Amino acid sequence: MRVSGRVWLATLMLACVSTAAAAQDIQASRRTNNAAPKPSGSTPRAPDGHPDLTGVWNGLGDNLNGVPNQIINNGVVIESETSARDLRSGLAITTFPRTNAPQNNEVAERAAALLRRSGSNKPLYKPEYWEMVKSLDHNANEEDPSNNCMPAGIPRAGIPSYIGQQANHVIFIYPGQGGLIATQTMYRMIPTDGRPHTPLQELDGTYTGEGIGHWEGDTLVVDTWGFTANTWFDQLGGYFHGENMHVIERFRREGNTLTWTATVEDPDVLLEPWTTTPRVALLNPRPGAMLPESNPCSERDLSHIVTKEHH
Amino acid sequence: MKPLALIIALLAVAGHGRVDAQSAPDRAKVLRAAADALGMVRWSDIGTTTTRLPGIDVVNTMEFHGSGTVEIAGRPAKADYRAAIGYNPPGMRVELTWSGADGRQQRAIQTVRDDYAWDDSEIGAGLIPGKGTATPATTVIRERLLQLWTLPYGVVKAAIAAGDKTTVASQGGVTTLTFPLSGMLSGITVSATLDSTNLVTKVETRPGSAAPASLATQTDYSNYADRAEVLTDIKTPGRIVRRQGTRTVLDVNVMVWETNNPYLVFPVPANVKGAAANR
Repeated sequence: MRVSGRVWLATLMLACVSTAAAAQDIQASRRTNNAAPKPSGSTPRAPDGHPDLTGVWNGLGDNLNGVPNQIINNGVVIESETSARDLRSGLAITTFPRTNAPQNNEVAERAAALLRRSGSNKPLYKPEYWEMVKSLDHNANEEDPSNNCMPAGIPRAGIPSYIGQQANHVIFIYPGQGGLIATQTMYRMIPTDGRPHTPLQELDGTYTGEGIGHWEGDTLVVDTWGFTANTWFDQLGGYFHGENMHVIERFRREGNTLTWTATVEDPDVLLEPWTTTPRVALLNPRPGAMLPESNPCSERDLSHIVTKEHH
Repeated sequence: MKPLALIIALLAVAGHGRVDAQSAPDRAKVLRAAADALGMVRWSDIGTTTTRLPGIDVVNTMEFHGSGTVEIAGRPAKADYRAAIGYNPPGMRVELTWSGADGRQQRAIQTVRDDYAWDDSEIGAGLIPGKGTATPATTVIRERLLQLWTLPYGVVKAAIAAGDKTTVASQGGVTTLTFPLSGMLSGITVSATLDSTNLVTKVETRPGSAAPASLATQTDYSNYADRAEVLTDIKTPGRIVRRQGTRTVLDVNVMVWETNNPYLVFPVPANVKGAAANR
């Protein structure tokens, strides 16, 4: 097919106009903060009166500060272009205007690795493990179990991307992620029928453990034990744990937001329980939102990595 | 001389008399340049689409290891020097290893966190009953905190925190920041020299009249590079020389300086808190 020069010119002009408009839209919608979103809308209720958590909870697409599903990473909240603080200590963190200098991947990756670790909300290990934790994070390319396509485990997986709430159980789905932090797809079926835990010594350790749910007011509390020790309990940091780890997750829906925290108890390795910085997910607003199929996790990068730089 | 030329000449002369005030470098620009030179200001768009966060100060924890001469008990000694530092919360742990007069290896671990200082018999002493001894060292809290805040990153952070009290002067291509410290270190004034690449090369501290003379220090930093195993683009000094008066109390060459916010914690042992409550 031959296209005349006049048609080409018209097409080019149209494309320029469209691109300029799109750029304006993006500029207008750009966020300059990573503060948790404010809830809007009403909170739907299940027939039993509890909040209905059912939905696809991936409404906020950006990996703010570079970690999926984690809006305030490691406890540093950037409230505006001129204000940031550490949530745990309250310390003001100095902000600086961005420059227009382009960042290549190497620069951006190094910055992201620093940003993710700059907060103060760190678990307090027993002193005999301080060097080990540091070393695991230092050598994360080889040591991070998740880098070899193993399941992220709990609570590292964070907020499930889908929750299906039934009268006597809830279903959590965590799609696998490629690229940034490659993990396998995980799912959990959590009974909320009042049954007790299986005694810990009778459980074989698994990646998601044995989770039992109950409601405390409008908060769904998921109490989990029975883990394998082959996971880290946060997305970075080398935060290993033992088989006696006990995790208490709290899910609270307000309107179109879901707030999640997890408290990790592991007296074998920790001096005190540790609670994650609260994370907030947005409900996917699209009617009929679905979870796309995850790419299969197939590790092909590790053998080519020659430095210790990592996410 | 034509009237216009005369006016210009008069303005030039009048301006010349106020050259220091008019040409004083902009404080915010100088502090930004100093932070940039060290690699402290960072942002990343990895994983984002519509979000453009500002840069933030990413320096929190660091660890470095060097060797050289350290004044121990009033005498210079060849020593291995390891320092773990954190700014949020402020803490520092210095581990010294040296050979004693009898040839046996000696070790000292000196820690400070916020308003507490103590000596550890082993790393993390006193946190678990029966595991080591943490001895309160209340008389040296300020000396130890001063080491933290006179490192190049501490200087930039403290100068920013001092706000309008920070003054900037420039002469002969050398820029000097002067600012007061606060909290436990209030009364101490810091003067920091930036070289032509905006790196902190000299830090002097002047204590107020009530403060001990040991808080009057001069520290020189040189041979900057990114010498971490996990590269971060943060620049770190390769040599640190600290003096108190005419005495050199520290002269170390740094081999490794990990800057990727490594896992470093400084929990205060219960007995150290108790001792502080009783003082």
